[in-house]
Amino acid sequence: MRQPSAEEALAAALSAEYAAIYAYGRIGVRLTGAAREAAHQAEAAHRSRRDALVVQLSATGGAVPPDRAGYALPFPVTDRVSALRLAAEVEERTAAHWRAALASTTGADRDQALAALVEYAVRATRWRKTAGVTPLTVPFPGRPT
Amino acid sequence: MVDEALGLAAAYQAQVAARPELADRLGPIAEAHTAHATELARVIGVALPTAVAAPAIDPVNTLAPLRALEKAAQQSATAACAAASAERAALLGSIAAARATHQEALK
Repeated sequence: MRQPSAEEALAAALSAEYAAIYAYGRIGVRLTGAAREAAHQAEAAHRSRRDALVVQLSATGGAVPPDRAGYALPFPVTDRVSALRLAAEVEERTAAHWRAALASTTGADRDQALAALVEYAVRATRWRKTAGVTPLTVPFPGRPT
Repeated sequence: MVDEALGLAAAYQAQVAARPELADRLGPIAEAHTAHATELARVIGVALPTAVAAPAIDPVNTLAPLRALEKAAQQSATAACAAASAERAALLGSIAAARATHQEALK
């Protein structure tokens, strides 16, 4: 399989960030208290990475994939339990796109991809902790299973 | 890197031996470190060492020493990822991320 260019990998990460932001809109309304606040902080982190990617891809003259009006969720979010499960899954999925970008990038771009992978993997663990799900960790965060 | 991952696994096994009630919590993390060592040995093309000494920490009533080991190990995986070839960058990135999640799980 051909390795994607850095630009293609970052465009894929941007699409994943769009989907994550959409999902957190569905997740936040099903949570209360500290969990809701954590969802808002997570959403803000994904928005910040989205904005940085749009700027970066535009600056290099690359194609900036558009956001969509909606994204298919892997399962319905109807209550706190399903919201927490989706939050952990969103983080793992987004982490997977940044992990994929590691091979296509070097230097500062790779550092940025690794920082995102680490941050999202840790947040997935925190969501599992909030949900009371074990184990809290996966052996290879972001690796396709 | 292979020895470091096996050393981490050994440190968790020593902690579980001293405090069996932590087996459910620490067992999956020990297994992750062994899986990292196995995968690293495979991509490097070396045999998995049969025995590696655990880092010298006393299994005590706090998980702080394990957290400190994970933090140092995360830093070494981060440096290795930055310097890695394209073929190995993703594996090393996952290992760095796993070590970060272990620190969170130990809190």
